[in-house]
Amino acid sequence: MREGREGGRDRDGGGRGGAPTRRPFFRRRKSCPFSGPNAPKIDYKDVKLLQRFVSERGKIVPSRITAVSARKQRELSQAIKRARFLGLLPYAMR
Amino acid sequence: MSFYETIFIARQDISSAQAEALADTFTQVAQEHEGKVVGREYWGLRNLAYRIKKNRKGHYVMLNLEGTGATVAELERTMRINEDVLRYLTVRVEALVEAGQSVMMQARARGEDRDRGRRGGYGDRYGDRYGDREPRESEAPAPVAPVGGEA
Repeated sequence: MREGREGGRDRDGGGRGGAPTRRPFFRRRKSCPFSGPNAPKIDYKDVKLLQRFVSERGKIVPSRITAVSARKQRELSQAIKRARFLGLLPYAMR
Repeated sequence: MSFYETIFIARQDISSAQAEALADTFTQVAQEHEGKVVGREYWGLRNLAYRIKKNRKGHYVMLNLEGTGATVAELERTMRINEDVLRYLTVRVEALVEAGQSVMMQARARGEDRDRGRRGGYGDRYGDRYGDREPRESEAPAPVAPVGGEA
C-alpha cells in the first residue's frame, strides 16, 4: 500500500523546473497586515479590504500566504462570512 | 443595554422612499421594545454578489441601535414577517460608529462604490490550490489495480 504513494509524484520542491530541493534564497518574513500601528480594522462592511483576502474564486486565502496572524485570521474569516451572508461578497465565483 | 448594528436588505422593486419608510417602522418597533435607534445609514440600491430570492439588487439600510435582547428579538421577528426584507443581520458591537461614518459611507463619499473588476486580491499568482496539498481524488492518477487479479 505504501509504495503507491511514494512512486506517485515527488511533492517536495523539485517539481517546478527541476530546481534543487534546497532553495538558495530565503523569502522575507512578512508581518501581519492587521498588527501594528495604523493597521486597518477588520470590519465586515469594508468590502474593499476583505476583497484583498479572498481568491479569484471567492475563497478565503490561507494565512500562510497572506501572513495574517492566527488571531486576526479568525476575525477576518468571520468578517468575510458576514459579508457573504449580506451579499457584499460572493460565496463562489465562476 | 448594549449596542447593535442591524443591516437589512430590502427588495429591489421598492423605491428608496419606501425603504426609508421601512426603516422608520423598524425604528418604531425598537422604541416600543426597550431600545432606541441612534443612527441610520441608507447605502442605496446596491448590486448583490449573488441572487437572493430572485433579486439582483437590494436596498441596504443600516440601523445603529442601543437596546436589549428583547429589542433585537422583536426587531428580527418583524423583519422575518415583512416580505420586503430579503435578509437582515444584527451584530453586537462594542461601540457604535457615528451614522454616516461607517466604511461603506466613506467609500461612497470617495466614489469607490461602483462595482468594478477585481482589484488586488490573491488568485492570479497562486491559483486556488497554493500548491501544497495532496491532489484531490478526482485529479489523482487512477489508482494502481490491486495486485494479484490477473497475474
